[in-house]
Amino acid sequence: MGPVHHDLAGEPIFEPMIQIDMEIKAFVSAWKHCDYVSTYVARMISQNRSDSVHHSNLFSSAFNELLEVAFRTRHADGELACRVSRHGATDRIELTFPCVPEERQFYEEAVSQFAGMEARERYLNSVSGDLAPSREVVLLELAVDYNATLWIDDADGDAIKLVVDLPLEGLQH
Amino acid sequence: MSPYDLLPRFKAQYDANNQEFSISGVVRPQAIDELGPSIALLRDAIGHVRGVLYVNVRRLTQMNNAAFHSFSRIIIDACRARPDLKFVVITSSVVGWTSRKFGRLSAIEPNITVEEYDTEFYPGQGFLEEGGFVPILRTQTKLTWRHERAILPRHGMRSGIVMADICCGIGDFAVLAQKEFQPSRIVALDHSISSLNYARRVMREFDIRGIEYTYGDASEMLLDEAQFDLVTCRHSLQIFNRPELILKELYRICKPGGRVYITNEKNSHCLGEPRAESIRWTYNEVAKLFGHFEMDVELGPKSRRYLIEAGFEDIRVETFMVTNLDGDPQDFADVIAAWADVYAGEMATRRGDGPEFVARFRQGFEDHIFAALHPKGYTGWPIWVASGRRPQ
Repeated sequence: MGPVHHDLAGEPIFEPMIQIDMEIKAFVSAWKHCDYVSTYVARMISQNRSDSVHHSNLFSSAFNELLEVAFRTRHADGELACRVSRHGATDRIELTFPCVPEERQFYEEAVSQFAGMEARERYLNSVSGDLAPSREVVLLELAVDYNATLWIDDADGDAIKLVVDLPLEGLQH
Repeated sequence: MSPYDLLPRFKAQYDANNQEFSISGVVRPQAIDELGPSIALLRDAIGHVRGVLYVNVRRLTQMNNAAFHSFSRIIIDACRARPDLKFVVITSSVVGWTSRKFGRLSAIEPNITVEEYDTEFYPGQGFLEEGGFVPILRTQTKLTWRHERAILPRHGMRSGIVMADICCGIGDFAVLAQKEFQPSRIVALDHSISSLNYARRVMREFDIRGIEYTYGDASEMLLDEAQFDLVTCRHSLQIFNRPELILKELYRICKPGGRVYITNEKNSHCLGEPRAESIRWTYNEVAKLFGHFEMDVELGPKSRRYLIEAGFEDIRVETFMVTNLDGDPQDFADVIAAWADVYAGEMATRRGDGPEFVARFRQGFEDHIFAALHPKGYTGWPIWVASGRRPQ
């Protein structure tokens, strides 16, 4: 693991690792793009982790869920941007994709409720009760199973930026 | 259609004899309909079993939430409909997310338990993975490297290749190979966390680059197929109770045209003069002791057969003898002393051997050390090297 840096305000500086941009139309043209992109990016960014194969497997698992969320956007135009950066043991995924205002509101509300034991209970209730996971539960699972921190950042136009910090290095064996 | 589309992404099967439903591969459906046959198979299995249904997800590399929910719901519903039925989900510590994700199910239904499988898979390996065996491995590699550095190029080793060292232990062979041959990349895999931690520490302290140490089960690796020019697996098939499973995996990750290189022993052929009889008796007993724990330390000469049966071609086999004349005789003696500690110590005790047997058993090792350090003595430890090419 390389040295970690902080800016003058003491905020950690995340060093960029990789970015993939594509038209959302192209992305949603095939479901397997989620698998392609998550597997490719996971391999690329995991090479210098202490256990590259395991890091890649965990990262791909988490990132694929985010991409599947983006895949289901109801907004048909615009760009999908996946940016991965790193600060020490944490990898940050910034996923920007077009969405309609209702979806944006949904994500903001969903992400604001992810905290502590309650999140775990809500996740377990969904697994035991729902026929299929909602997009909220998919995001919730990242917090519960991967210790992820999620929030929404500003994005231009009809887009939303989901930011997810994944401390996967700490989940290694 | 791309080659990607042609690959089977996942497989589900049910073994009625063992009441085991297993699902493996990458399961990332867009819609649950894609899982129809697998879900029907699970439902059918639930309908037929009594007592316990094992759900084996050891080789489940990926599963998205949509699929996880779908399978989980069937299991949870079955628990509620049939309180007599128990589910045991078998995960692998190698696939990091499975134990975390499936582990949640037992919090929902007490009739679901989740077990990590790996450690029990290799009945005797505990002796060799953690603790006592590390010093043996270090000195052994030092002794065998003198020979293997000359042998390896005849089995596919050259600079610039991509290689994997499976069952890498403390990583010393990978480091020596890196220094001597400069492959472009080495992936070194082992099932011992303490060994890997040691290997990573050495890599950091000595600023060694180009080796990726990874935790894994050699019989079911997360590594992609057909990616290595050379796959090495040294002194390891002999300590697995099912070496053919490991060879299948070595074959899978080797590129077509690449080679798999294995080394193994035939312990009963260890020799020494003077005191040859005592030494011979003890090493015959070593083979039996390992046999008791389902390990075959007589595997060396069987390497050719194993490689042929695994589908390799252009099999090359050779032997070399590590002796007390290879450098400092004390090194040889140190290896024997370490063997004695583990074999006549924990292993003999675990088998339930009596003090009389242990005393005679230990004497053979002491005689071997005596011979190694004797000014006119000669001691040998034979190793079988074999490699095979994966057909194009």
